[in-house]
Parts: sequence; structure tokens; C-alpha cells
Amino acid sequence: MSNGPVRVSAEDMALNKAFLKMMSEGKVERFIKRHSLQARLTHGITAMSCIWLCLSGLFVFVPALTQAAGPDAVLFMRMSHRVIGVVFVAVPLVSGLLAPKGVAHVFKNLFTKWDSDDKKWMKLFFPYLFMAKWIHMPDQHEVKSGQRFADGMLWFAGALMGVTGILLVVGSSWADFGMAAHGAILLLHDIGFFLIAIFAMAHMFLGSGIFQPYRGLAKLMFGNGMVSESDALYHWGHWAREEIALGENVVEKRR
Amino acid sequence: MAEKAILFDSSFCTGCHGCQIACKCWNNLPSPTGLNESGFSGTHQNPPDLNGHTRLIMTYNELEGGSKGVMWAFGRRACRHCSDAPCAGICPSGALRKDEETGMVAVERSKCVGCQYCSTACPFDVPRYEASGPLGQVTIVEKCTGCVDRIRQGMAPACVTTCQPGALRFGDREEMLEVARERVEVLKGRGYEDAVLYGENEMGGLHVIYVLKYGVEAHGQVPNPQASPMADLVGIMKPLTAVGAGAAVLGFAAMFGLGVGYKRKKLAYNPETGDTIDVETGEVVKHGDGQDEQSVKEHIFENLPVRKGDGHE
Repeated sequence: MSNGPVRVSAEDMALNKAFLKMMSEGKVERFIKRHSLQARLTHGITAMSCIWLCLSGLFVFVPALTQAAGPDAVLFMRMSHRVIGVVFVAVPLVSGLLAPKGVAHVFKNLFTKWDSDDKKWMKLFFPYLFMAKWIHMPDQHEVKSGQRFADGMLWFAGALMGVTGILLVVGSSWADFGMAAHGAILLLHDIGFFLIAIFAMAHMFLGSGIFQPYRGLAKLMFGNGMVSESDALYHWGHWAREEIALGENVVEKRR
Repeated sequence: MAEKAILFDSSFCTGCHGCQIACKCWNNLPSPTGLNESGFSGTHQNPPDLNGHTRLIMTYNELEGGSKGVMWAFGRRACRHCSDAPCAGICPSGALRKDEETGMVAVERSKCVGCQYCSTACPFDVPRYEASGPLGQVTIVEKCTGCVDRIRQGMAPACVTTCQPGALRFGDREEMLEVARERVEVLKGRGYEDAVLYGENEMGGLHVIYVLKYGVEAHGQVPNPQASPMADLVGIMKPLTAVGAGAAVLGFAAMFGLGVGYKRKKLAYNPETGDTIDVETGEVVKHGDGQDEQSVKEHIFENLPVRKGDGHE
């Protein structure tokens, strides 16, 4: 959104003043519903599984850690890696089957066409990360352009990890894919881990609100799923205005 | 102790399986003993390949040719104990390691975590991996240890001690190479032109030296063995991930540090006028919902505390 004041007609000024007065006197704060309970549960379980999978995977990936922990601890980690791996793969699949429209909505947002604000937002993103106090960002739709890219990478890396993980379990317990195929699957699993490590860390840094401009957004997935009007206007301006105008997902709460 | 090696001279081998059985006995490895339990593979090679309980097999290759119309090329299939052993290099747990004294690739089964990296790295497809339980929870690598335990006690590997025709010998690697070179010359002198010494330089030098009467491939050996490129790529992924993750953490720390003291206006949207309003000052910060019209450069520089020309007065 524009950073500076914009001139409007006296009539609009008066309407705005009355609007603010009404909101202030009513001690009302508006929130927009963004994520359903099912989406939050799916995200929460998958996120926790992913963190455990990354940690337990390190016990095979990092030789120093493997040797320090000893075979019994590594065996426990490997077994937990397989059990939690099942959760990581099964929960999003079951959730998707229960809410196919939600899945379609997520992927529609991922592949939606980028407009001028989307492109500009992406160009400004890296300078913004280091200069957030001074750079204001263009308005965004329901999913920011950079968020679409990062989420897409997480979906891709998660799917890669899930598929290669299943093949590794099957290949080591029930079938023999051959040395070359097994090596290729291991390599793809490692590439998936590299992508997950980078993109999930960035996702956590922003989404959990460690990065100051994103403070408070953790509640979207780990709270009630609602975003305050002010935060919504800052992060997803186009979407927030559309939602407020429609009013369907707007909840008013007394301060 | 000088580097050791096992010498296998295929021209002496009678294919008796004695070495295979000695390996099983010394290492207490089970074998199927029930009626027809091994299945029929159509060959004297039994079991058909190495497995989770078999570290050494004799191979039987029938070839057309020679003075009698058939050449039966016996081979020995087990760990070759490479000098540049990719399995030991890639093993994360230290279960496979080069024994510096003997040059053998030793196995500490208690350290194996069952990751299968060694299987993917070996150019000879040797390490086997036995998994049991519905989730494959008991997983241990199985391969020839070179009988390092026996060697340290001044003994030869179990397979060598049992070889009646003297096809297997054991000693200092240089000595075994010398014997092998002489044997190849003898075989060539007898008309076996394809006779070859194998293992002198392959994979940095093997610690199982072969005299192959009918050539490399005839005896089931791998010509010009190379470590799997997958092993190198997996080796690259680890430092790459560490560097990537480290750089990301440093970047996040810098972003956090530069974000200290960040504040922003509280905003509200009046759908009646289409205005986005700063709640504290009442100023309209945006009218309508149009696309941004500033350039990227303007976005970056418009609010910087020191603008061009400022700060020099």
C-alpha cells in the first residue's frame, strides 16, 4: 500500500472520521477468518512431523552425530523417522481427501497469474528483509507472490521427501530396487532434505513472527486462524479489502 | 604390519565351495538346511548371489571356446577391500572403516545403522543388507571383514586356510602381487592369452588380488570399476546443506538484528469510501484497491533516513 497520505474529498474525510469514531466508541476490532480448523490441524501435525523428521534424519545424515549418539539411539531415531514419516505422508493426504475443495483452492492460489504488484513485491522482497523499517511493500492477494513460490517449494520438497521416503522403506524391507535405483532415491531424498531445510527455516522465521514485521502471524496457524484487520491490510491488502467488503469472513470482537 | 592381501588364482580353483563354507563356519553365519530350501538356480552357484547371511560365494561361468569347447571360469565374489573404499568413506556411523594396518575394510556390525549408503557406493555390489520386522527395524550390513580378527592373531583368513588346491593364498600385498604376476606369465606361456592380473590398481589397489585365467569379464569381475557417482553427489549434498542452512541462519540473524525497533501504523479499511486509514492519525494511506504505481527504486529509497543530499549541511 502507499506509504504517504492520500488526498480525498472532504465528504470522504468526514465519512472516514465517523467510521473511526464508530469503531473506537464501539471498542470493536475486526478480524478476518483465514484458516479453517482442519487446515490448522493439518498444518500443525505436518509441521511437527516435518521438524521431527529433520531432526531424526540428521542422525543418519551427519556422521559425527551418528557416531556420538551410538547405534541404539540411532536405531530409535531411524524407527521414529519411519513412524513419523507415515504421519507426514498420511495426514495431508487424508485431509485433502476430506476437503478436496480446500486442496483445489490452495493449488489455485499457488498457480494464479502474477500481476504487477506480485512481480514488484518479489523484486522488493530481499531488500525488504533487511530494510523492513523503511520499505513498504505493494499490496498482495490472498497468498503473496513470494509466499506462493516458497509454499510451492515446500509442497514440492515435502512430496519428494514423502515419495522417496516410502520407496526407501519399501526398498529396505520388502523389495529390492537395485543398487543404482536405491542410490538415486537416496540422493533425491537428500536433495529434498536440502530444500526442506532451507525453505522450512525461512517459513518458520517469517511465519512464527521471529521476523518483526510478521509478528502475530503465528496465530493464523497455531491460534484461532484469524488475522486482525490491520495485519491483513499490511500483508495481504487486496485480499483484506475484498474480504472486508464482502463481510462473510469478518468477525468483530470487542476490545 | 605390511598391507595384506588375499590372492585368488582361478587357474588352481576347483570350485569346491570350501572357502564359502569356511567363511560361514568361522563367522557363524546360518545357511538354509531344509529340503530344497535354497531353491534351484540352474547353476552350481549357490546361493545365486551374496545375501544377508553370505559374505563369499564362488561363481561359475560357462563360456564357449578353448580346446575342449567349454571353458569353466570359476570366480570369487566377496568384498575386494579397495584402498579407496567408497563404502568406508560414505558410512555415517563408522561401521565400515579401513583397517590401516592390514588395508582390509573392516566391519563393526554393532555400529551399523542400516542406512544402505554403503550398498549404493560399492562398484562391486557387495554389501548386503538384511532387514527384518514389518518396518525393517533390524538392519545390519553384511560383507567380508577380511578376517581382520584372525590376521591380528597371525592367522590367515578362514577361506584361505581351507583351500585345498591352493587357489587362495594370503600374505603381504606386494608379495602376493609378485606371485600373481609370475602366475599370469606362466598361464600366458601355456596359451591362455587372456590371462590377467586384476586388483593391482583398480580402486586404488585391491586387497584381494586375482589371477584370472580367461580374462576379467569371463570370471565375473568388473572391468575398470568406479565408485558410483551417486556416492560423490551424496557426499556433496551434506556440505551443501550445511552451508545453505548456515548461511540462512546468518541471514535470518541479520534480518532480525536490522528489524529491532520495527513499528508500523495500525490500519483500518472503510469499505464505504474505499479508503485505507491510519487509525491513529486518521490519514488516508490508500484510496481504492488499485495496483501500486511506484517503481521498485522509489519503494527502496523513499523512506530511507538519509536521502541523497541530506546530512551534508
